[in-house]
Amino acid sequence: MAELSFPLPDLGEGLIEATILEWLVAEGDQVERNQPLVEVETTKSAVELPSPQAGTVVKVHGDAGSMIAVGDPLIVFEVPDDTAGIVGTVPAEKPPARRVRLSAVLDDD
Amino acid sequence: MGRHRDHLVEGSDPQLSVALHPPASDAGLRPVLLLHGFASSTKLNWVDTGWIRYLNEAGRTVLTVDLPGHGDSAAPEARDSYSPSRIRADLLQVLQDHHVVPLREGVPASGVDIIGYSLGSRLAWEFGATQPELIHRMVLGGPGSGDPLAAFDLAAAQELLAEGTPIQDPRTAELMRMARLVPTNDVFALLTMVEAVKDEPFTPAEAVPRMPLLLVAGENDDLAATAQELADLAPQAELLTLPARTHANAVTSRAFKSAAVAFLAA
Repeated sequence: MAELSFPLPDLGEGLIEATILEWLVAEGDQVERNQPLVEVETTKSAVELPSPQAGTVVKVHGDAGSMIAVGDPLIVFEVPDDTAGIVGTVPAEKPPARRVRLSAVLDDD
Repeated sequence: MGRHRDHLVEGSDPQLSVALHPPASDAGLRPVLLLHGFASSTKLNWVDTGWIRYLNEAGRTVLTVDLPGHGDSAAPEARDSYSPSRIRADLLQVLQDHHVVPLREGVPASGVDIIGYSLGSRLAWEFGATQPELIHRMVLGGPGSGDPLAAFDLAAAQELLAEGTPIQDPRTAELMRMARLVPTNDVFALLTMVEAVKDEPFTPAEAVPRMPLLLVAGENDDLAATAQELADLAPQAELLTLPARTHANAVTSRAFKSAAVAFLAA
């Protein structure tokens, strides 16, 4: 098994951070790709973030009410080794060097 | 979509963006019409917040409409296009176009359910009061007995746009902040809507919906502080309060969604 860490994705329109409203999954949960993970609020609106990945939730970052910056770690999944091989493993606690859009396009801009 | 209509309730096609979102597995219940709030859109209010997915997963067919001057709908110049009475006529047209039939006892697919948020709840309240034969149940999010748009300081908003003068009234300032944050919003169309709403302010006691209502408000939603007064006007209304939520962030709440789906399925 391998661990995959995902950061808070780019929410568009120059938004740099979001507040965690409520986690919809917990550590130990098995989640499907596109399953809603967490509700977050920006200065613009509140949104539900879908999962970029199927797997078991190993860690979620940030309790309800805490602020998280775009690019900072949001959630860590445990996935079978061959799955990790396909998409590449990301070091668990280090933010990725390059920001990538993880989800289906949340915003056109 | 703006399709040509042969039998318009009002004389002209309002060119509203209407979309049908069918579920993968249909529960066989009536469609759910979603009405978004001021300066929002189907996308911001219902798609990005996970509502359409949640309703579809519950087997519900969803019908969405962008209000005039919002989302992908046209933004006409004429003030009349934005009046609540004109919008109610256009909503009736949308339901007719989608073959919504009057409620019939024992026919779960007849009629329509409605979920509104903020201004959408005000429109739903009036629409429900005037269309009891069509509407089964309604969920009204972020509702109040007052009318935040009627109290909107239009002159201050225009000065802000023209001169950059800060707005003193906090609610006007917040509504303008929201209106301008979304680059696709047509601020002038939104101000025309405010003018139209001022002509027809919300007077909920005048026409009261008599079908079962679920009112849902964030505990810290100051625009919905009068939700209980609104509930007291209706013969069959219950109020759900969402702890710690505000007018802006109650809309994604899982407790709100699950309560709405359960209430509409009854």
